[in-house]
Amino acid sequence: MFFLKEETKVITLHPSYFGPNVREYLINRLNEEEEGRCTGDHFVICVMDMVDIGEGRVLPSSGQAEYTIKYRAIIWKPFRGETVDAIVTSVKPTGIFTLAGPLSVFIARKNIPSDIKWEPNTVPPQYTDHADQVIEKGTSLRLKILGVKPDVAAINAIGTIKEDYLGPL
Amino acid sequence: MSRNTLDHDFGSEEEDDDFNPVAAYESDNEDARSTHQEQDDDDDDEEDVKPARRAERRVGSEEADDNEDAEGHEDEQDENDDEEDDEEEEEEDAVSRPRKRRKKGGVHNFFEEEAGVDEDEDEAEDDEDEMAELGGEMHPDDMDALPVGAETDDRRHRQLDRQRELEASMDAEKQAQLLKERYGRNRAAASDAVVVPKRLLLPSVEDPSIWGVRCKAGKEREVIFAIQKRMEERPLGSRNPMKIISAFERGGAMSGYIYVEARRQADVMDALQDMSNVYPRTKMILVPVREMPDLLRVQKSEELLPGGWVRIKRGKYQNDLAQIEEVETNGLAVTVRLVPRLDYGLNEDTGAPFMDPKRKRPSMNPAVARPPQRLFSEAEAKKKHGKYLSATSGLGGKSWSYLGETYIDGFLIKDMKVQHLITKSVNPRLEEVTMFARGAEDGTANLDLASLAETLKNSTAEDSYLPGDPVEVFRGEQQGLIGRTSSTRGDIVTLQVTEGDLAGQFIDAPVKSLRKRFREGDHVKVIGGSRYQDELGMVVQVKDDTVTLLSDMSMQEITVFSKDLRLSAETGVDGKLGMFDVHDLVQLDAATVACIVKVDRESLRVLDQNGSIRTILPTQVTNKITPRRDAVATDRNGAEIRHGDTVREVYGEQRNGVILHIHRSFLFLHNKAQAENSGITVVRTTNVVTVSAKGGRSTGPDLSKMNPALMSRGAPGSMMGPPKSFGGRDRMIGKTVMVRKGPFKGLVGIVKDSTDAQARVELHSKNKLVSIPKDILVVKDPVTGQTIEMGRGKGGPRVPSAAPPSSWHGGRTPVAATDSSRTPAWGGASSARTPAWAGAGGSRTPAWKNDGSRTSNPYDGNRTAYGGLGSRTPAWNAGARTPYGGSGSGSSDFDAFAAGSRTPAWNANSGSRTPAWSGATTSNGSKDARGYDAPTPGGNYSAPTPGAYGSAPTPGASAPTPGAWADSAPTPGAFNAPTPGGPSKKPYDAPTPAAWDSRPYDAPTPAMADGEDAGPRYEEGTPSP
Repeated sequence: MFFLKEETKVITLHPSYFGPNVREYLINRLNEEEEGRCTGDHFVICVMDMVDIGEGRVLPSSGQAEYTIKYRAIIWKPFRGETVDAIVTSVKPTGIFTLAGPLSVFIARKNIPSDIKWEPNTVPPQYTDHADQVIEKGTSLRLKILGVKPDVAAINAIGTIKEDYLGPL
Repeated sequence: MSRNTLDHDFGSEEEDDDFNPVAAYESDNEDARSTHQEQDDDDDDEEDVKPARRAERRVGSEEADDNEDAEGHEDEQDENDDEEDDEEEEEEDAVSRPRKRRKKGGVHNFFEEEAGVDEDEDEAEDDEDEMAELGGEMHPDDMDALPVGAETDDRRHRQLDRQRELEASMDAEKQAQLLKERYGRNRAAASDAVVVPKRLLLPSVEDPSIWGVRCKAGKEREVIFAIQKRMEERPLGSRNPMKIISAFERGGAMSGYIYVEARRQADVMDALQDMSNVYPRTKMILVPVREMPDLLRVQKSEELLPGGWVRIKRGKYQNDLAQIEEVETNGLAVTVRLVPRLDYGLNEDTGAPFMDPKRKRPSMNPAVARPPQRLFSEAEAKKKHGKYLSATSGLGGKSWSYLGETYIDGFLIKDMKVQHLITKSVNPRLEEVTMFARGAEDGTANLDLASLAETLKNSTAEDSYLPGDPVEVFRGEQQGLIGRTSSTRGDIVTLQVTEGDLAGQFIDAPVKSLRKRFREGDHVKVIGGSRYQDELGMVVQVKDDTVTLLSDMSMQEITVFSKDLRLSAETGVDGKLGMFDVHDLVQLDAATVACIVKVDRESLRVLDQNGSIRTILPTQVTNKITPRRDAVATDRNGAEIRHGDTVREVYGEQRNGVILHIHRSFLFLHNKAQAENSGITVVRTTNVVTVSAKGGRSTGPDLSKMNPALMSRGAPGSMMGPPKSFGGRDRMIGKTVMVRKGPFKGLVGIVKDSTDAQARVELHSKNKLVSIPKDILVVKDPVTGQTIEMGRGKGGPRVPSAAPPSSWHGGRTPVAATDSSRTPAWGGASSARTPAWAGAGGSRTPAWKNDGSRTSNPYDGNRTAYGGLGSRTPAWNAGARTPYGGSGSGSSDFDAFAAGSRTPAWNANSGSRTPAWSGATTSNGSKDARGYDAPTPGGNYSAPTPGAYGSAPTPGASAPTPGAWADSAPTPGAFNAPTPGGPSKKPYDAPTPAAWDSRPYDAPTPAMADGEDAGPRYEEGTPSP
C-alpha cells in the first residue's frame, strides 16, 4: 500500500559546500539517498517536497554542518494479503521469482495452482498448464502477497497465485 | 491350591448362602493388599466366581478318590468344559451332570431339572456334592449363550456342545483371545464403567487409621507375608480374630516400616504380637489422614516406547546408549539395539598360550577394558570365532548369531529388563545417536530424529512454548480454542484466549493438547525436533499440525511439525554450526578453499573453489577465512571488482551474482534466485564481467567530505595527500621506561597507555599502574637498560643508509618523489637546504643545540619564522624525520611517509582540517607542481618560494589547527619508538634531552596560541631563503 509519509533526515555538510548552493546540495543529496531506499519496512518511492530544511548547525570540532530536513515522501509498504502485479524474473523448479517493483516476491511450488506444472524441457523453462497459461521469465503475474519478511535493507516476500483471478495476466 | 482346600473347608459352612468362599480366591490375585479380606463384596465376586469355579472343579476331581464313577463323570465334565470331549461323552455328560445339581434352586433350575434324571447317584457323594456344585455347574455364561427356553430343550443343548467343539478346533491363540475377552478381568473396563470422583475415594477421619510400624529393614515383605499367614489362621470369624483391616509395605521407598490399617492401635499390637522382624512395641506412627493417599501412590514408571533411547546400567555396555526396539507388553522387559563392543576373540588369543587356564584372568572388569563401540562385522568374527558364528536369516535383514547374541544390521539386539536400563535423563548425544543412523557417514541421512525428539521431549516440552506463542487446543474439552500462551508451568500452559466467546479469558491446558498455530506467510524458525533445526523460513502451507515452510536460505520447501516451529523475528542468516555459518569461506587444505552452502546438524556442505560440492565435518575445516571486504580483483575487462559487486559469467552458463568472497582468482557469487547450493556459485575472475558495482549509485558528491568542486578549482589531485592519520597512537606505549624524578624515581616500567602529557606506566617493581608525566620518563632498552632517545633514536642507523647529501635529505627526497606534488617543492627546498642540512646532518648537534636561537643558520630564515612560532621547529624537524626514520631500514620512502603521518605537522593536516591538505590526500599519486598553490586558500602559498615553501607549508598548515598540536605533541614521544638499539644515536643524544624536555611540549602552546599568525609568518619566511 502506498502512503505519503513525513520523515526526517539529517544530512551533514562539509564546510566546502557552504555557500549559495547549500539548498541545492541538500535536495540532491536527499533525493539520491532516499528515493528507492528500502528501510526493511517500506520502500521510499519518491520524495515529494521538503517540508522544512532546518538551519544548519555547525558541529564542534569538525566544522561540518548538520541539517535536519523534514520531507514528505511516497512510500510503499507491502502488506500480507496485498495483491500486486509483478514480473517474473526467473522460474525454477522450486517456484517462481518475481519482482513487484522493488519488491522481490517468491511463489513457492505449493502456492502455484496444481494444474500449472513445471515444464523444464521448454526453452526457456516455464510453468504451464498446457493451455493459455504460461509462466516464464518476463511474464506479468498478478499475485497475492502471503508474507513479508523484513530484512536489514531489503524486503523479501512470498506470494501465491493459487487463488481466483491470480496468475499470468 | 492349598488355600483353595482351606477355603473349601470353611466354605462348606456357608455353602448355602452364596458362593462366598470366593473371597479367598480373590486373594490369589493380590500382593500388597494380601490380607485384605473381602467379606461380602458381591459385585466383585460375580466376576471372580467364574474363573474360581473352574479351578475348583479341578481341585474337586483330584480329591474325590472314593467315588470312581462319579469321578469319571466329573473328569469328563471338566474336560467337557475345556471343550475337548467328543460329542457322545458330552451328551452323556450333559445328561448326567445336572443330577447333582438338583437341590439348587433359583438361577440354576435348568441343572436341577436335568439332574432329576438320575438322582440316586447323588446320595452317594456327600463330599463330592459341594465340589460338583461348584465345579460341575453350568457356567452362567453358557446359559447366556442359549436362547430363552433352551434350558428345556435337549437338542439346543447339544447344539451348544457342538458349537463348543467347533470353537475347540479354532486355533489356540484365537481361542485364548476369546477366552480372555470373555473371562479376562478387565480392570480398566471395570473402572471405566463406574467413574467415582477421586476425592470421594479419599480417606476421611471416619475411615480406619493406618499405623506405621517399625520392622527390620529389608524384611518388610516377609513381615507382610507373616501377617497374611496369621490372618488365615485367625480369620474374622474365628475365636481370636485379627482385627486389622489391611497391611502393606512400601518397599524401597519406606524401608524399615510396614503399614497396618486398623480401627485401633491395640488391634495392630495384637496382630503383630510375637511376630519376628517387626517391632510393634516401638513407637508407632499414626499416618495422618491427609498423607494416606500418598502412601499408596504408585510412582508412575517411565513409559518406554520403541525408538526411544535408554542407557544400560551395568555390564559391558554400561552407560552405552541403546535404542528400544520393542517393549514387552508387561513393560518389564524390552528389546534394545546396541552398538556392540566386540573384540572378536582377538584379545583372548594373544594371551592364550601363556595363560594358565585355571588362573583367573586379570583385567576382566568389562566396564573398564572394553572394546570400542563398533558395528558388528561378520568378516572379523569369522577370523577367529567362526565356530561361534552362525547366520540366521531374519525378516528383511540378515542377522547373525554370535556367541549367543543376535546381531542384526551390525547392531546387537538384546533383551533386557527394565531395571537394568537407565530410562531417565538419557540425554543422547549426537555422536552417539549418529552411530545408530544406519549407513550414513555424516549422520544426516536416515537418522530418526523424530525418535530422538521423543526422548528429548521432556527437555523441550516446556520451553517449546514461550509466552506469546499463538496456540490452538486441538484435543480435549477445550478443543478448538485459539489463544496465545501467557505462561507455562511444567506441562501446563496457560493461554489467553483470543478468539471466540471466551476471548480474553485465561485457560490452562496441558502441553499435549496444544499445538502452535501459524498462518501462511509467518516467518518462522525451526527450533528442534527435526534435522531442519535453526532453519528460517516463511510458512507457505499449514495442514493440521504440519507446516510447510520455505527456507530463506535454500528456497526449498520444508515440512515440519508445528511444535518444532517458532515465530521468528530474526532476519539474519540461519544455520550455524559452531563457528560456521552459511556463506562463510573456509580453508579446507592449503590449496583449497570452500564456501559453506549448507549447515547441517553436524556436517557442512561446502562448494569448493573447483566447483565441487562436498560434505565435510567441521573438524575437517582447517580454518575459517575472515572475509576481506577490501579485497579487489579485476574482471575479464580489467575493471576492478570488489566484494558486493554484481558480476556475470562470460562463458558457460552466464550465471550472475553478487560477489560474496574473492579468493585469489576465484569468486564466490551469490544469487538468490538460484536454488541449488544456496545460491552460491564459484567462478574465475577472468570469466566475469561487471554488471554493476556495489551500491550502483555513486553519483553526487559526498557532502561529508571535501567539496570536489572546490578541489578541482585548484589543481585536482595536486595536493599531496598527507597520509592518513592513524589516530596518533603514541609510540611510547609498550616501551620500557624509567622514571626520572618524583616518588617513583628510578623505577622501571612499561607504558601501557598515554595521553598528551601523562603516561600510564606499569611498574615492574610494584606491578601497578601509575600515571606519570611523560616528561619525567626516559625510555630504556628493555634488554640492555640503555637509555633510548625518543625521536632521535633512529638517527644513527639512518645516517649510513641515507642518501648522500644528508640523512635528512636522503629521507625526504624520495618522499617528495613519491608524493609527486611535493617533489619540486621539496626538491627545491632540499636543494636550497642541503648544505645547511647537510651541515646539520653531519654536525647537527650544534644546530640543534641552537634550536632556540637558530637564527644564524640559513634555515633560520625559515626557522626563525617558525621560531616565532616558538619551538615548533623541532617538532617539525621531528616530523620531517619521522618518515625518514621509518624508512631508514625500509625500502619504500612512501611508506616512510605514511609512517610520517605521525609527524605533527602532517597530522595536523590529515585531520582534514586544512582543506588543502586533505584534498591532497586523495590525489596523492598525481604529479603536479602546483600542488601547493591549490590548497592554499589564503593564497599565501601562491608565491612559491621553493625552499621555504617546502618546509613552510607544513607548519603553516598545522598552525591554524590548534588541535593538531595536541596531536603533534605526542609525536615526539613516538619518536623514540623506532629507535631501539640504534647504535649511533649518540650525536643526537646530546640535544635530545634539551629538545625533549621542554620544547616539544612547550612548543605547541605558542603555536596554538597564535595559529592565525602562522600565515603571515610564512610570508616572512618566504623571502628569507
